[in-house]
Amino acid sequence: MPEGIYCNKQPITTDEALKALLSDTRGKKYYEEMESLEVDREKLWSSIQKTMKSRMKTWLSVCARCGLCADSCFLYLVNDRNPEQVPSYKIHSTLGEIIKRKGDVDNAFMRHAMEVAWSQCTCCNRCAMYCPHGIDIGIMMGYLRGLLYSQGFVPWELKIGAGMHRVYRAQMDVTTEDWTETCDWMAEEQQDDWPGLEIPIDKEDADIMYTCNAREPKHYPEDLAEAAILFHIAGENWTVPSEGWEQTSLAMFAGDWEACKLQVQNVYAAIERLRPKRVIGTECGHAHRATVVEGPYWAGRPDGQPPRPYIHYVQWVAEALRTGKLKIDPTKRIKVPVTYQDSCNYVRNWGLAETAREILSYIVEPGYLREMTPNKEHNYCCGGGGGFNGIGKFRPQRNKALLTKRDQILATGAKLVISPCHNCWDAIRDLEEEYRIGIDWSFLKPLLIKMVVVPEHLKPKDDDGDA
Amino acid sequence: MFGKIVFATSGAPDCDSAARVAFDMAGRYGSEIVVFHCLGIPGKGDSNLVLDVRTGEEVDPDEEYLEGVREELRTTYAIQLSACKNARIEIAVGNPSREVLRAARKEDADLIVMGARRAGVEVGGFYRRGVIGGTHRKVAKAARCPVLTVSRPAASFWGGFSNIVFATDFSKASQSAFKLAQSITRDVDGELHLFHCLDLDRLQSPIALTQEGIEGRLAEARRKIQVEYAAKLGDLAKRASIEVWEGSPYVEIVKFARERQADLIVMAHHTRNVDPDEGPDERPFGSTLEQVLVRATCPVVSVNRPDKLPEASEA
Ligand code: SF4
Ligand code: SF4
Ligand code: SF4
Repeated sequence: MPEGIYCNKQPITTDEALKALLSDTRGKKYYEEMESLEVDREKLWSSIQKTMKSRMKTWLSVCARCGLCADSCFLYLVNDRNPEQVPSYKIHSTLGEIIKRKGDVDNAFMRHAMEVAWSQCTCCNRCAMYCPHGIDIGIMMGYLRGLLYSQGFVPWELKIGAGMHRVYRAQMDVTTEDWTETCDWMAEEQQDDWPGLEIPIDKEDADIMYTCNAREPKHYPEDLAEAAILFHIAGENWTVPSEGWEQTSLAMFAGDWEACKLQVQNVYAAIERLRPKRVIGTECGHAHRATVVEGPYWAGRPDGQPPRPYIHYVQWVAEALRTGKLKIDPTKRIKVPVTYQDSCNYVRNWGLAETAREILSYIVEPGYLREMTPNKEHNYCCGGGGGFNGIGKFRPQRNKALLTKRDQILATGAKLVISPCHNCWDAIRDLEEEYRIGIDWSFLKPLLIKMVVVPEHLKPKDDDGDA
Repeated sequence: MFGKIVFATSGAPDCDSAARVAFDMAGRYGSEIVVFHCLGIPGKGDSNLVLDVRTGEEVDPDEEYLEGVREELRTTYAIQLSACKNARIEIAVGNPSREVLRAARKEDADLIVMGARRAGVEVGGFYRRGVIGGTHRKVAKAARCPVLTVSRPAASFWGGFSNIVFATDFSKASQSAFKLAQSITRDVDGELHLFHCLDLDRLQSPIALTQEGIEGRLAEARRKIQVEYAAKLGDLAKRASIEVWEGSPYVEIVKFARERQADLIVMAHHTRNVDPDEGPDERPFGSTLEQVLVRATCPVVSVNRPDKLPEASEA
């Protein structure tokens, strides 16, 4: 059973293995080795028999191949209505075929399936809304990804990403020390402007436990500072856990279900240890899907819920604005044409479309919001979801996929795109770099900080210079 | 005086003057010097790609690439490094301002030395959007230790410093800057010029200013300098002068420094200034410090906080 040094069926479990895989620039050797990676047909078939739920079996068998889902898929549309991009075709020609052949598929088939699973579907679940039978191709693609991952057929970056979760319980190599140090650092940096501001670590029984995306402490720690500032202004009693702070899951994109479980259990353990009244996640969309929507099932929680109520950042913001914990200075509202990117992961998968609109009603001057068409739960994926953003091998396909969002934004005439989801944010940044349409893009936090009314008692005393 | 210096460099020629000053100081004070380079900005999504700061190209920051960058820096600063016993090269990936601050914190630096890019030489698009353009501003604003910026071939070198201009706006941050100015003046046995500029742009309306009104304010500022600073100088008072002008602060500070043939300007960058990054409207104006940085012919050292100020050596 030939397995490569870089490309094999073993998950990454040590720092050394991670570094070794990373050192294989752009996965060159990895993909070379993949060409001769053997398929363990028996294992593939037996795991399908063990794990494939009746729901999926039913879906595959009831699908009438009517093609009504075709137009719902942005990848079908953007690829000139290529029949191979019809959602049902994508799944029947891959997962369906593996099942039909009882796992008797070869290497070339698996590599093809990998390409379909990661470059022809972002698991955005849009097609499910249009299928008369409610068949969700995105969910089945996720399942297919799991099968492919277990056989070693997974894009290089996602093998690394899943490995990061296994080794660091974070999508990047951020250790507990790095994390707590970053919290201290950010609190210190803000204290001149925000006297009394803290980022409390491991405070028990707080009202809120906050979790985030490892990219924040790693590259954009100001995001953490901004969260702290807004909690501070709102007068929240909050904390972050020293362990279990990372809410995202590249393992979910990779189809590494075991790593998904390890990751989410880590967060749930923090909740159980610190007993907050509720948990609030950062703006990231897939983080919410991983930890709140799907996480309970990975962790085997009987009630299908995280240990404590766990809400998305837009829910907290909407609530804070509604209850007056945060007040917006009306003169500072956004007065440029602006549009909102609905993240599939918390709009379609968690029903927060109206919650997001509620926030917009506070922060955008009436008349300046230009909705995309379609929008809310009907919105298209940004083009970079499901891991697509990060996979170098599929960059050309990804760049093409960005066109849907580009055209949607162009049609609004907006100059600013509000995009709370980190992944959508990345995709919008990339589409601007790629196609130069002259837009800005922003998370919610920096926008809110610019326009929120700061209570007198929180303003810095003494000083300040007039230069 | 400065035990550990973090010299943040792009490795490009526009950092050469800063390099000279940084290594010169390290030599003179026997400081440890960390040559720090942030090579790129995290690239596409969750991928491992990095956009190289200088070229804007996508690169893979693998060991080979990192070693290449290290080697380049070693070559660029070969002479300085060989003359310096206690020097080290560190590289990082991330947003430059953040990574410089992170390095300064990790190293517990006593001073950050940076070269400044002149306006207009930034790479386009994403870069201009406050990623690199704001590097200085962000570092100067948030650093715990003094930040020395050298934007032009330095008129003189550290050690040859003798004329120090301390420009104040009477803020709390200026207190820290004053302490620093004092230490440096003592240390180099130089002269200290205490300077304030009455900001006429800000004073316009509601009171239409009469010449008399301006005179009154100038006199008041002079008194304030006397009380808040000059009176605390002790033996240094003999070597200090006071000057108050009116106009646009950055213009006057630069003019004054040139007139006094200053070889160092010390001032604060206000932490609480409106961040010029914030909106397109504020962007072109920038803060006083930033304007001074790009216009001054001598190095500028800024500090906001009292945390990490050097003690003057006993001369
Ligand atoms: S719309 Fe539903 S039933 Fe029709 S082809 Fe698509 S998945 Fe199958
Ligand atoms: S889940 Fe989204 S990307 Fe995948 S097939 Fe359906 S519509 Fe297309
Ligand atoms: S990145 Fe955003 S738009 Fe794209 S699939 Fe994820 S949530 Fe949806």
